[in-house]
Amino acid sequence: MTSVRAIAACLPTLALVAAAAGPMVVLAQSGSGSFSSGQQVTFNRDVAPIVFRNCAACHHRGGGGPFSLLTYQDVKEHGRQIAVLTRTRVMPPWLPEPGDLRFADELRLSDQEIATIQEWVQQGGVEGEPCDLPARPEFAEGWELGKPDLVLTARKAFVLPASGSDQYWNFILPVAISQTRWLKSIEIRPGQKRLIHHANVLVDRTQASRAREKTPGSGFAGMEIRLESETFDPDSHFLFWKPGTIPYVEPDGMALRLDKGTDLILNMHMQPSGKSEVILPSVGLYFADHPAAMFPMLLQIENDAALDIPPGEKNFVVTDSLTLPVDVDLLAIYPHAHYLGKDLLALATLPDGASQTLIHIKQWDLNWQAVYRYAKPVFLPKGTVISMKYSYDNSEGNRANPNHPPQRVIAGNRARDEMAHLWLQVLPRHDPNAGTDPRMLLQEALARHSIEKNPADFEAHYNLAAMLQARGEREEAVKEYESALRMRPHDGVVNNALGGALLAAGRVDEAIIHLGAAVKDRPNYFDAHYNLGNALASKGDFNAAAVQFRAATRLNPDDADAEANLGSALAQIGHLSEAKSHYRRALELNPGHALAHENLEELEHLQVSR
Amino acid sequence: MRTRTCRNLVPALFAIFVTCLARQGYGQNAEGLTGKNVDPFREASGKVVVLVFLRTDCPISNRYAPTIQELSARYSRQAAFWLVYPDKKISAAVIRKYLQDYGYKLPALRDPQRVLVAQGRVQVTPEVAVFDIRGRLVYHGRIDNWYEDFGRSRSAPTTHDLNDAIRATLSGKPPAAAVTDAVGCYISDLQ
Repeated sequence: MTSVRAIAACLPTLALVAAAAGPMVVLAQSGSGSFSSGQQVTFNRDVAPIVFRNCAACHHRGGGGPFSLLTYQDVKEHGRQIAVLTRTRVMPPWLPEPGDLRFADELRLSDQEIATIQEWVQQGGVEGEPCDLPARPEFAEGWELGKPDLVLTARKAFVLPASGSDQYWNFILPVAISQTRWLKSIEIRPGQKRLIHHANVLVDRTQASRAREKTPGSGFAGMEIRLESETFDPDSHFLFWKPGTIPYVEPDGMALRLDKGTDLILNMHMQPSGKSEVILPSVGLYFADHPAAMFPMLLQIENDAALDIPPGEKNFVVTDSLTLPVDVDLLAIYPHAHYLGKDLLALATLPDGASQTLIHIKQWDLNWQAVYRYAKPVFLPKGTVISMKYSYDNSEGNRANPNHPPQRVIAGNRARDEMAHLWLQVLPRHDPNAGTDPRMLLQEALARHSIEKNPADFEAHYNLAAMLQARGEREEAVKEYESALRMRPHDGVVNNALGGALLAAGRVDEAIIHLGAAVKDRPNYFDAHYNLGNALASKGDFNAAAVQFRAATRLNPDDADAEANLGSALAQIGHLSEAKSHYRRALELNPGHALAHENLEELEHLQVSR
Repeated sequence: MRTRTCRNLVPALFAIFVTCLARQGYGQNAEGLTGKNVDPFREASGKVVVLVFLRTDCPISNRYAPTIQELSARYSRQAAFWLVYPDKKISAAVIRKYLQDYGYKLPALRDPQRVLVAQGRVQVTPEVAVFDIRGRLVYHGRIDNWYEDFGRSRSAPTTHDLNDAIRATLSGKPPAAAVTDAVGCYISDLQ
């Protein structure tokens, strides 16, 4: 009788322990645990290595985490919290599910590590033997990579209010360089790391963003910014910061081109902390010794047009896919949605039909978005279909839902709008047999794909035209530019590009009409003045050509071609000494300028012989 | 006889222990920032008492500063708000600096013995305890549902539990819920 009662009393107790230590049971069964049930877990021996490796990068004084986790005392005083946050995988923040492909710097605790933490807390948080404690990690006080070659600091601080919703702010950082440099690394110092969820740097090669500032240097609000480039510039890199990241150094041969006059736009997502904070970010630039030899590209697949999510909808699915026209190595991936995003999946279907998960995030959280770089480049052959499948939760049950009650949500740049974007950084493999740059084939494929989805996509028509023109398909290029122009009839950039294409196709009179429209739309547009000058000169109207070239040289005093052409136009109308001074200026800017050299020599010869 | 003595002794000790708890329960061991014992209930004289438990290194606590300040201002005539810091390591000077940084205009207490923690039955920071004018605990738990889980906050709360509890208490009614789960940093993790 007595023994039966004893067993009855024991069993529930055992069951309770097992339930409380759920992951422990798994661990014991797997047989790979660093401790067996009942063995004492200590901070110094078992927990410190996990915390130092996975938590300390943010959780140190001056780091992005809200408190330090560097000593026994630090960790003990947050013990239960750490147990809950690691068990639920809220911390360390790492969104992708484990898969076949590994990412660099994966911040994912193993089940065993999580079980160790749970057991340590349950056992009361024993410190252990001092000799077991591994060396405490050390963190740079200043720049992580040493003194930068160039530091850019925001001209005006942003004042983050104490409360309210998350803030998105853009700082314009003009790059103070006098010649083209190649960026191999950028360290983003967002000012107050603890308040910053993430920061992106965009390269603005045309200073177009400056128009958005109320006063120069003031910065401007906005969650998403889009920069339209006027030139085909496929050399693209992710410049991204999230808490705990160590600045990424581009591999040998890769670097991002920075020209004189380039602006970097630092786009930051900040969360009010309870007190007003002054945010003054800076970035440190590290230059490579050599120009880049390899040029990765950013590909975007997206389907914003399909985003029209009814209120209350729990599982709204959006898809898109792109067939690769060339072999590429996939270097990094950046899935992006806003607050309604739930399950984000990207797949590659190889030409042989095999499927490869590129990334799968089951619990999207905008706050912890990141660029994920693969541990090794992922080869994707020509013909691979890259597809995305995102689902959105616009119900009340989605706590991140910015609308209460839920509202219809469509695509847009604001936090309460949505997005369905997947960015991929790829390095196209060069096929020696193909005549065309593989990057242009990729760009063309992207443009054609966008037009399929949205025939009224201005940018896609423009980009496709640019690619066609580069491939020498002049009439096709003109048609595409004309399509773009129908959407924006007065746009200076399109008029200029169409004028250039018409000029190249020998249709000079039409070219002059569009280039004239470009100059009218954008009086400070160097390219348009320069092209119009050429068109007028080819009609023999050198007086009018000189006016345009003069305007071009005023807009960009460092352009040797414009100086040389101005010289030629002036020479044609008999202004010989002025012509010579412009040829000389062209040669100052580019001592190897053959045209300027020959024409100057001819002019001098002419004057001597007179 | 000896057995009977034993039996008598045990309840007697227990009774003393209970008395001790009760005495502590009146807040005599909580300290003001000058180091003096402060009894927030005696000071409140006739007001509803709201104890707000905070840690200086808890980001969720910190983010609530404007909300707490705003609520205390809204009910300044009827409710006495006290900020309570249960971390015995945190000095009065650190708390003063914290109050200044976060723009608090509320009196603060250190509760190194966790007397007010026990009385408010709170477990985390930030968590609040509301006492009616007779000093009876009528609500303890979250301020609102901004956080229902670690790491996943709403853009704005959709419930206002503390506000509702104060309003109910002022109108002599029991709050809709006497207890809610607060999310934050565990007080039991502290020394």
